Amino acid sequence: MAKITRRTFVGVMAASTTALSMPSIAFGALPRVVVIGGGAGGATAAKYIAKDSKGAVDVTLVEASKRYYTCFFSNLYLGDFRNYGSIGHNYYGLAVNHGVNMVHEWASSVNSAEKKVYLGSGATVSYDKLVISPGIDLKFNSVNGYSPEAQSIMPHAWKSGTQVQLLKNQVKGMKKGGTFVMVPPPNPYRCPPGPYERISMIAHQFKKTNPTAKIVVLDPKNKFSKQGLFMEGWQKHYPGMIEWISADTHGGIKKINTSTMEFETDLDTFKADAASVIPAQQAGRIAMNAGVNKGDWCPIVPASMQSQADENIYVLGDASIAKSMPKSGFSANSQAKVAANHIRGSLTGSKVFAPRFANTCWSLVATNDGIKVGANYDAKPDKINKTSGFISKTGEDSNLRKATYEESIGWYSGITSDMFS
Amino acid sequence: MKSKFVFFSIIILLLFSNKILADDKALAGADFEYGQHLSGECVTCHNSTGLGQGIPKITGMKTAVFIKKILAYKTKEKDNAVMQMVADRLGEEEINSLALYLSKTK
Repeated sequence: MAKITRRTFVGVMAASTTALSMPSIAFGALPRVVVIGGGAGGATAAKYIAKDSKGAVDVTLVEASKRYYTCFFSNLYLGDFRNYGSIGHNYYGLAVNHGVNMVHEWASSVNSAEKKVYLGSGATVSYDKLVISPGIDLKFNSVNGYSPEAQSIMPHAWKSGTQVQLLKNQVKGMKKGGTFVMVPPPNPYRCPPGPYERISMIAHQFKKTNPTAKIVVLDPKNKFSKQGLFMEGWQKHYPGMIEWISADTHGGIKKINTSTMEFETDLDTFKADAASVIPAQQAGRIAMNAGVNKGDWCPIVPASMQSQADENIYVLGDASIAKSMPKSGFSANSQAKVAANHIRGSLTGSKVFAPRFANTCWSLVATNDGIKVGANYDAKPDKINKTSGFISKTGEDSNLRKATYEESIGWYSGITSDMFS
Repeated sequence: MKSKFVFFSIIILLLFSNKILADDKALAGADFEYGQHLSGECVTCHNSTGLGQGIPKITGMKTAVFIKKILAYKTKEKDNAVMQMVADRLGEEEINSLALYLSKTK
């Protein structure tokens, strides 16, 4: 690194104030990392690169929202186990504690040849290494009759924030004894147990205030994550309320009509009083724009999370093909630490350790009835390889289920502190 | 007088170095930087403030206490599927590095 005299230091400071429009060469010796997306992957990566490099790397996090509502635990908000404010987080900790430059704008495009990110305002920010962690985009037209306009009538609520508030209002406002229809997404999608935890939390709401209501689940799949555990829980806590219908049984959702609230299948036409439709998913648009996708998702190098298409770009979380890891906040956080270690090593020469990945997904079925599934992973040349795992068992005693729920509360506190402070 | 000072200095030095040797032996292969890196896996769940319900604080834990707990998960004497899985892939060098780092971290 160039020796910093008082004069060059002032020069660097002056350049930093105009960081967004200046090419990276103007910043002198500090290597630059830009992170797009401030969720479990991006916020964690930005924090760890900044924290561990102790000022030797300039880190900019581009995230449109000033307050980030986590998708994980939004189901617990639906079930009244959390208030809305408690799943919202800001980025002051990253800026103040670790010196991350926060840019609250949309990243509109990436020029990977020039190593530049273009922002919604028209400004550009240059990088030496780019981390893309944009989460998912929804493929609205994957369900015939669903559309961006339809999301206000049948909320997907698969990105957190106002969609989840809307869904909760519709659940609470549904007529007495009415039918709620839920369409989960096809594989692969964000948070495999998530739709089924959502069904549990909506059933929990109905049990309290609308006990004769019904929930019909029109699944495009024939099986789902933690199926035995959820089915057992639904029978125990909400007997007769939830009807889960597999793809083979209903023969496919032919069309939905948001005016009549009808769902047409081979088996029958189902009429809803309220509904949630979660369409198929793909990597966030900016990943497509950067050209690091192959089809709907982005292939990565398992040992580092580098894009297979560009060694200066890393793709984290839901947007990546991190097989065999599920698309979860925990996975993204784990991948971010592997990428951060690798990025810092390549920019500053710091030690790069062998990659280690892990994931655990907790779900709440009813009050004090928590279940979990988890696994360890290592990096093989062609995939992130599962090395061991566990899953809750059916018939577990209530004390263990309560402890599992309490553990999930601890995890939420832990991961959000890890991401944002 | 001078020889007495040297004598006591040597005694103190020997005692001190024995202590260091004893700690080194107890924490074979321990590396602070490696421990810090590995702890990234812990803090996804273990809040450093200790305020998280259901999951205890582990920073500031004495090395012997940490090692005893991890080994109890590794041998499955202690119940918890997540911790048994975490402990399962930690070798001696990794456990000792974590113990060293966590003991010196608030």
